[in-house]
Amino acid sequence: MSIDVEAYYRRYGPQVLRRCRFLLRDEEKAVDAMHDVFVQLLRYQGALKDAAPSSLLHRIATTVCLNRLRGAKRRPEDREDELVLQIASTDDTESRASARGMLDRLFGRVPASSRDIAVLHLVDGMTLEETAREVGLSVSGVRKRLRALTSVLQELELEAA
Amino acid sequence: MTSPRRTPDWLLERIALGELPPEELAAARTRLEQEPDGPSRLAALKADSAATLERLSPEQVTREVEARLRRASVEKKAPARSPWFTSALGLVPVLAALALFVVVQPDSGTLEDPVTGPVAGLGTETTRSKGLSPKLEVHRQQGRGDEVLADGALAAAGDVVQLAYVAAGRTHGVILSVDGRGSVTLHTPEQGAEAAALAPSGTHRLAGAYELDDAPGFERFFFITAEQPFAVDTILEAARKLAASPEAPTAPLSLPEGLTQVSFTLQK
Repeated sequence: MSIDVEAYYRRYGPQVLRRCRFLLRDEEKAVDAMHDVFVQLLRYQGALKDAAPSSLLHRIATTVCLNRLRGAKRRPEDREDELVLQIASTDDTESRASARGMLDRLFGRVPASSRDIAVLHLVDGMTLEETAREVGLSVSGVRKRLRALTSVLQELELEAA
Repeated sequence: MTSPRRTPDWLLERIALGELPPEELAAARTRLEQEPDGPSRLAALKADSAATLERLSPEQVTREVEARLRRASVEKKAPARSPWFTSALGLVPVLAALALFVVVQPDSGTLEDPVTGPVAGLGTETTRSKGLSPKLEVHRQQGRGDEVLADGALAAAGDVVQLAYVAAGRTHGVILSVDGRGSVTLHTPEQGAEAAALAPSGTHRLAGAYELDDAPGFERFFFITAEQPFAVDTILEAARKLAASPEAPTAPLSLPEGLTQVSFTLQK
């Protein structure tokens, strides 16, 4: 391993844990997810050449936690939590393409799923430009993803009503 | 994690770590200091960090992470595949796409509408800027370089492409795409009601890459240019009409006089 896990954890571990805690709303689950985030960091360490560690870890933590929230059966604690749970429950076939995942690892690129983009923009409050920079895509690409996901979220709200 | 005029949590983390471009960091720190609870939030963050490191020691976390990685590696090796085979397997879609590209690459098509003849602005203007016409280039990003794509190339959901234009003397332009799901995506200008100002010569990349989604059939990019400003809404309206028609993969946009268009299609 070329990354010094201990050094990275000392500097970024608390940030990652706070992120996981916010998304999962459960301390034990957040600690467990945090470990997986650093495992993923080792797998995607090639992406560090293009992204600051805090930015990359923020994204990885978002992805790890959203995957764990899929199908979660719990009452949302507040409006932000409700939105996170809605986003997590949307179907995102892109993130399940195993061959693409292998290619992403080969080329050191962290996949940018629509759900991740939605959380960054709709929950974290990043502007379109900030979101685009965060995931390494164009503003137009981010906007398109958000438009598609927003329509899905609206359908979910109608179903829930 | 966010509220009006309050530094969002993600940004607070970056400030605490100092991981922002210098100018951004300085501005963010200034704004935070001006917020009523800014300094206390930063102090609480640092205290929480210290408590976390005390409760979950670096040695303990490192051992757990390494153990998980080893377990994942063992699980991955269960099918008894060699590392070479596993890596090679990941390249199969790329090789298949390249093979299809070689087999099915179409001839460059004319932009002339086969039913109604030339559309306004197409094929009727004198070439400019040393014989060049406006052009749109699409590069597919690969791990160690870009692949220059030809019009009609095969692409897939998840491919990341970089758009670039050659204005050939035109001063203003719009780049958008229409896909097989009927969506219209405006790539430039990113905001504003008027066409973007273009660099009149040379090849210029758009800011940021564009990742293709799973819309079926095609993604068709249009580059509309003129020698004076024009309204983006007019172009978007034409694109929406085209996107809703069965001729979307092949027909040109119906545009006012004085505008030139070129298109570039990726097949899916």
